[in-house]
Formats: sequence, C-alpha cells, structure tokens
Amino acid sequence: MTQTTLKLNLGPQHPSTHGVLRLILELEGEKILSCEPDIGYLHRGMEKMAEGMTYIQYLPTVDRIDYLAGCFYSELFCRTVEKALGITLPERVRIIRVILLELNRIASHLLWIGAFLMDLGAVSPFFYAMREREMILRYFEKLTGQRMMYNYFVFGGIRKDIDFLEDIDEILRILPSKIQDYERIITDNPIFLQRTKAKGILEPEIALNNSVTGVNLRASGINYDLRITDKLYEGFEFSPVVLEGKDAWSRYKARILELSTSMNIIKQGLDRLNENKTFEQKLINPLTLKLPEGEFYSEIEAPRGLASVYIKSTGTETPYRLKWRTGSYYSVNLLRKLLVGEYLNDAIAIAGSLDIILPEVDK
Amino acid sequence: MDLEELKTLIEQCELDGNKICIKNSLYDIVNILKNKYSYNLLKSITAVDLGDETELIYNLYSTIDEEDVILSVKVKNEAESIIDLFDSAKADENEIYDMFGISFIGNDDLKRLYMPENWTGFPLRKDYVQDDTRLAWNDDTDNA
Repeated sequence: MTQTTLKLNLGPQHPSTHGVLRLILELEGEKILSCEPDIGYLHRGMEKMAEGMTYIQYLPTVDRIDYLAGCFYSELFCRTVEKALGITLPERVRIIRVILLELNRIASHLLWIGAFLMDLGAVSPFFYAMREREMILRYFEKLTGQRMMYNYFVFGGIRKDIDFLEDIDEILRILPSKIQDYERIITDNPIFLQRTKAKGILEPEIALNNSVTGVNLRASGINYDLRITDKLYEGFEFSPVVLEGKDAWSRYKARILELSTSMNIIKQGLDRLNENKTFEQKLINPLTLKLPEGEFYSEIEAPRGLASVYIKSTGTETPYRLKWRTGSYYSVNLLRKLLVGEYLNDAIAIAGSLDIILPEVDK
Repeated sequence: MDLEELKTLIEQCELDGNKICIKNSLYDIVNILKNKYSYNLLKSITAVDLGDETELIYNLYSTIDEEDVILSVKVKNEAESIIDLFDSAKADENEIYDMFGISFIGNDDLKRLYMPENWTGFPLRKDYVQDDTRLAWNDDTDNA
C-alpha cells in the first residue's frame, strides 16, 4: 500500500482565522506533516504609502496596522517623531497616554479571550467578553469619537484633555468581578483543559529563535516586557506576568493575569492625574513639519508582542523609508514549526492561542 | 558589552552612531554574537534602498544581558543569509526579497509573499513606480 498525504486549505474564509489567513496543511490521517501559511490578503502597502505622505497625513493610517490596538501604533509613531524633534512629553499627557494604552490593551485581550473560546466551540464566553469590551469601546467613543481607530495621539500631545473619568472608574469597578467569572467558567473547565493543557508546547529557545515576543514569550518563562524599561511607564509600579507552562493554557492564563496588571496601571494613572492637574501640550505645526536628517527607531510592548518602527529621513516632509515590525508576523511564521506533529483538531486551538491578527501581519 | 569592545572584535567596521557598519562577513559576526555573547533574539531585519545599493539593518537583542546591538551591511543584489542561526530570518529575508528583490545566498525558500506570484518589480525600491509599465501613467502605447 502506498502512503498518501492530503493537502488541506484552512482558510482564508475559515471563521476562526481572525482575519484572512490561509494555512496549507499537509495531513497524514489527522496528523499534520507540514504547515505553510499564506499571507498577504490584507496587504495595503503601509510602508510604501508612507513614502508619499507627510507625517501628519500618515498619522491617521497607523491605527489601521492593528485595528484592535490602534493606540499602540499611534503612540509608537508619535513617539518616534517626538524623539526626532527632541520633544519630551508633559507629565499629564504622558499619564493620559499610559491610561489609554492600557485600556486599549484590556479591550484587545478581552476580544482575544472571546474569540479564542469561540474557536474551541464555547460560545457564551464570547458574549461575556464582548460585553465587557463594549464598556471600553463606549468610553473611547465618548472621548475620541471613534470606537476602534482613535487617532487621538498627536505629535507632542493628545487631541484634547482626558474626560469622563467616572466611566473609567466604573470599568475598573465592574471588570474584576467579571474576570472572576471568566476564571470560574473557563480556567478550570475540564473540556477547556483537555483542549489546551500541554498543547502547542513552545520551548523558550524556539520562541526566541523565531523572534516570538510579548505574552507568548512570557508564557514560555522568559521575562521580557518592554514596559519595564519604557520611559513612558516611568514611575508606574507593576511586575510583568511570567508563566512557566509553555502551552496554550499558559498563554490564555497569562492574558487573563495581564488584565489585572493593566487595571493596576490604570489605577495608578488615575491617582497621578489628580496630582498633575495642569494640562499643557508641546504641539508643533504639523503642516511645516520636517524631520531632521537621520534614522529614528523606537519600540513598544503592544498586546501582540514587540512592535517597532524605523524611520529614515532625508530632511524632507516625507519619510525616505519607514518600516514596521509587528509581533503577529513572527507568530504566524512560528506556525510552520508549532503545528508539525500535532493533530488537526488541535491546530485551531494552537493557532488561536498565539493571538494572531492579520492586518498586523500583512501591513 | 559596549560598542567599542564590539568594534575591536569585528575587524574592518565603522561606528555610525549606535550602528555598526560591517565590511566583511555578516554571518560570522552574527554567529559570534549569538553563540558567544548570547544575543538570542533577532528583532528585525530592515532594508533601505539607497539608490545604487541596499542597506540591511539587523536589530539583535540579548534577553540575558538586556542589551541591543545594531548591525548594518550594504549589499548590491545578493546578501548572506543567516537562517542557520535564526529561524525568524526566513520570514524577514522573504519579506525583503518580496519588497526589494534582494536574494539571500543560502536561503532557497524565497518566494513572493505579499505580492502575487506572477508580479514583476519590487514595490519598496525607489525606482519602482517609474519602471512599472502596468501603471497607466507609464504606459506609452495608449497615448500614441
């Protein structure tokens, strides 16, 4: 008898691929022999686009690199321009940015929790997670006028002073009990444990060798959180979530724990807002903005791993070259390794646990 | 490890700000950095089209010493591949091939990534738009 293998297309329209990702799997029975991700369905040419736009024209588009965590890319881009111009942010603006980033991180993680459980066939947690995420999106809508692409950060400051602080208080009051609910429904659920425990083991060496960062790396036992050394987070006290489990369950648990870390940071931020009441900005005229000649690089801890931007300027109104580094791009490429030898029914659980989002991959 | 120490390690190189510009084999230097100095994370590879040549910038990081190092090498159309050292380089090199048309010696798995398989031209090159006859404003035949 000759051995035959089956080629299976997973996606791009599969409901659990979080966007449009196509995985070409080679199967022997139900065992995966190889995996080849096919990306590019969402490619918008973000890097080429930048070369023909002024900095202020490009600013609203950077939210679209990751539409679930737009604040992070706004912050990253603004930060790089500020670095090039030698602007240091006033204290209040810095604290407001931290609060909004962490709110955005909570919203992003909540969506992931819902979508991941939906992948595994549990429908209710999706509605619960979306319900809590809705509170945050409503707040952003009130503050910025936008639910997803906020465009709230500008070079040297923010669009306007933060407001509706009682809404944040409300979110912080409600969320802990909801997280407890998630933990009761999900964390020790025997079906969930069977599908995620010891599945998709990611050894720290393999993670590093594949440039996997963020929560996925920390769930494999490596303490690398950029927020610790980030100047924006100066004065905030928190410790990164590092787990030793290496499996899909640990990656889930790490994200649940990160929700509490983010809430802790927001609480500190709100306290510090009371001490820094004067709202001043260091805005620049964006119409005449030219970056000095040189290369500028900065990075940030985004919800899906290390994100960085590189700008080369020749002293004109537009960047000469702009390059984004995003976390999901490397997580997708990790699937080539991580899925081999696993069974098809675990593939979705493993791919889902990495928190891949496709606009970030395709750029 | 500070930059000056690294400079003595690498012969024939120049410091440009915090960037180390390499003149000889990149593979050997990355090999030393990874295996002797625990630079275990390749953050990214960036390509910049400088006109007649392309600059490749390698951002390496050590999670043990918590230090960054930036290497830079200028190439024409071919570069050395470092996929033996870092698996993630496959993804980076493929992206650079797709966008800049640089081929990496030692990486046989280069293919179109974002662009369709039959696409000609490399979008992030500076001469891309001027050369591409599929774009309406470059097509002379209709105007004639």
